[in-house]
Parts: sequence; C-alpha cells; structure tokens
Amino acid sequence: ENISDFSLNITDCTQIVVPEEVFFTVAAAGILENLLILIAVVRNKNLHLPMYFFICSLAISDMLGSLYKTLENIFIILCKAGYLTRHGDFEKKLDDAMDSMFILSLLGSIFSLLAIAADRYITIFYALRYHNIMTLRRALVILAIIWAFCAGSSIAIALFSYEAATVIPFTILFPLMMCFILCLYVHMFLQARSHARKIASLPSSTVHHRTNMKGAITLTIFLGVFLCCWAPFVLHILLARFCPHNPYCACYMSIFHVNGTLIMCNAIINPMIFAFRSPELRSTFKKMFYCPR
Amino acid sequence: MSALRLISNRTSQQALSNSDYTWDYEYYEYGPVSFEGLKAHKYSIVIGFWVGLAVFVIFMFFVLTLLTKTGAPHQDNAELSEKRFHMNSFVADFGRPLESERVFSHQMAEESQSLFHFCINEVDHMNKEKESQKGPSLESNTHFQEVPKSSGMFEEDLHCLTKFNIPNFVNTEQNSSLGEDDLLISEPPIIL
Repeated sequence: ENISDFSLNITDCTQIVVPEEVFFTVAAAGILENLLILIAVVRNKNLHLPMYFFICSLAISDMLGSLYKTLENIFIILCKAGYLTRHGDFEKKLDDAMDSMFILSLLGSIFSLLAIAADRYITIFYALRYHNIMTLRRALVILAIIWAFCAGSSIAIALFSYEAATVIPFTILFPLMMCFILCLYVHMFLQARSHARKIASLPSSTVHHRTNMKGAITLTIFLGVFLCCWAPFVLHILLARFCPHNPYCACYMSIFHVNGTLIMCNAIINPMIFAFRSPELRSTFKKMFYCPR
Repeated sequence: MSALRLISNRTSQQALSNSDYTWDYEYYEYGPVSFEGLKAHKYSIVIGFWVGLAVFVIFMFFVLTLLTKTGAPHQDNAELSEKRFHMNSFVADFGRPLESERVFSHQMAEESQSLFHFCINEVDHMNKEKESQKGPSLESNTHFQEVPKSSGMFEEDLHCLTKFNIPNFVNTEQNSSLGEDDLLISEPPIIL
C-alpha cells in the first residue's frame, strides 16, 4: 500500500502554480488600462457615442475579472498569514460573492463583445439610418438589460453551481456567441470588400488593395485572442463537471492557474484591439498625459 | 482556488456543509485519481487542445485571406463598365434637382461625389426596396424641405450628406494616421 501511494505521488500531475507576483502584475495592468479607458470616455464629450459606451462596458467587465483575481490573491495571502480563518460563514459568503463577480465578468465580456459586433454590423449595413437605429438612449437601455441579465445569471450560477443544468448552458453559450460574432464579422467583411471593389472600379479613385489583408489580420487577431483566452477555462469547467476522476482530465485541470492568467491577459489585450484603435481616444489619452495641469 | 467549489461535483455534500468548508488555494486532491497504466501521455488533453486551437486559428486566417483574394481581376474589368454606367446615371439624377433648386453650389456637388462612394451600396439597397414597395416611405429626417418629394432617392442622398459621421467608417479628423484604421475599413477612409 505504501509503495502504491508513493508511485501515485510520482506520476501525479501536480498543480502548476503561477507565481503571485505575476498574478498581481497582470491583474494590476488590466485594471489600470481599463480604468484609463473609462476615464477618457467620461472626460471627452466627443466620445459619448454608442460605440464607445459598448467599449466601456467591455472595459468594465475586464476590470471586474482582474479585480476578482486581485482580491482573491489578497484573501489567500491573508489566509496563509492567519488573519482570516479557513472555516466560517463570513468566508463562505465572501467566496460566493467573488464567484459571482467572476462569472459576471465573464458573461459581461461575452455580451459586450456581442454588442460591439452588432453595433459595427448596423454601422455597415444600415449606414444611413444608423443614427436613428442606435440612439444614445437605446444603447444605454441595451447595456442596462445586458448587465441586469448578467448579474442575475451570475448570482444564479454561483448559487446553483452544483447542478449540471447551469454548467451546460454556460458552456454552450460560449461557442454559440463565438460563432455568431464570427458570422457577423464575416458578413461585414464581405460587404467591405465589395465596397472596396466598387471604389476601385470607379475612374477617379486612387486606391490600393493592401488593406483588405489588414481586415483579415485584425479579425483573426481579435477572434484568436478571444478563443485562446477563454476556451481553456471553458474546457476546464466541462472537464471538471464530467470527468474529474479521469487522469487525463485531472492533468488538464492542473493547469488551471495558467488558464486564469490567460483570462486576465485577455483583459489587457482587449483594449488594444478595440479602444486604442480609435484616433479620438488616443488623442484624449495624449491630452491626459502630456498636457501639464 | 475558491472558484473551483462551484465546478466540482466530487465532494457534493461535504463541500457545501459549513463545517467542512475550507478555502484552499490548491483545491484538487489527487488521492482518488490513479495514474497507473496510462496509454497516452498524461498531458495529452492539454497538448491536443492547444494544437487544435492553433490549427483552428490558422485555418480561420487562411479562410479570411482567401476571402480577400477571391474576385479575379477580369471580374473587376467586367464590372467596371457596368459600375461606370450606374454611377453616371446616379450622378445625372442627382445633378438635375441641384441645378433646378440651387440648394448646393456646383463645386460642393463635385466634391460631394466622393462621399457617395460609400453611399452607393446603401442607396442601391434602398432603391431596390423602394421599387418593390411601390412608393417611397422615408423614415429619415431631412433638412431640405424645399426639395421636391418626387425623387425619394434624392432625399436619402441628402441625408447621407448631412449625417455623414458614421462611426468606424469615415474618419473626419485631418490629423489621423491612415494606417490605424478601424476594423474592417477596407480602404483608406475619406478625409473630409
């Protein structure tokens, strides 16, 4: 018996632990970056547009995710140092609250990306009527509905987490959203390409064809980053629910901290893909930093 | 990790009762899991997942690149004459009410032709809709009330001119860099 226990320890898949310094650095960078975006949008009146409000919503959900990680690390450190007990009602309630914060961030992120894709879709296909379709008021209403739904779902999922009925819709939602966003963008992409061809066929235009490639690269980067950051975690949830005792699944689940760090990296990369590509936002940043008070 | 409490079904009753609740960083206990007699490498799911993900992303990139490359040059030449004819008729329709009403100066009409490059498709689309509906039903506000209502297309064109600050699509800043255009702007944005 002792020998078998010993051999189990040798071939075990040990937890791969990411150092706490890395956690804190990545989380802090994510929080700061998204906070900057929020401040910039609030201060600049030109940025009070539906498009930027959706980007703000994405920034808020990314910030929540990074905040969750930071708080959790702080509490673990406090636990190890002995300031917090490991057993107790207060800690359990805190744990519940933090679980729901994390799921809120995840759902908010997915729905914000969906809102951004839909907004761009309307921009391209209903260009002339865009300002009638997507008024500021409607954008705020949509955001309110999204966040109310995410808050309710996150609390429900955190409370009823042990039911399979919550895990399965949660994991189905992710690829569904991904496919939907991909279809929207491909359709937009084809439309933009036919625009470009029409412009190129006009006699008075001086046009290069290089930037069609750029659209493909941008779209691949956006969807690739989204996939690479979220899919490992979603797979982890699936495996934890359905095969926790399988050794292969257990080995996959041992890299859970790396998956969590990937999600925080997504919080850092998202602003670069969405927010920093806007010239208006970048000029607002320059004014904020380089203009002496 | 505390979040794992919600995704582990293993300890069901024990994990949920208060007395046994613990907050551990390393939540998983590998006691019940036996690693004896594995046929494949123990990290096979990890490797397989990441390889599959990389293949999918590269495949997606190639599909998107192919989308940009389809549409051979001879197709463009065939469309060229057709589009030129369409553009000329379009401009002719627009030109007549302008001269009769003197809403715009002639110079501005010429400059504004470039704006219509982006409106072409939308107006085409709307024209097709209007032909099918047999009667204009405009939903957009127009500032130019003196324009004769007989030409529904004309009011849409004016709306296109007046409200031409479509986000993500047309860059109205003089000092913006053309290289940093937004997602899916397929061509250098027209600087007004």
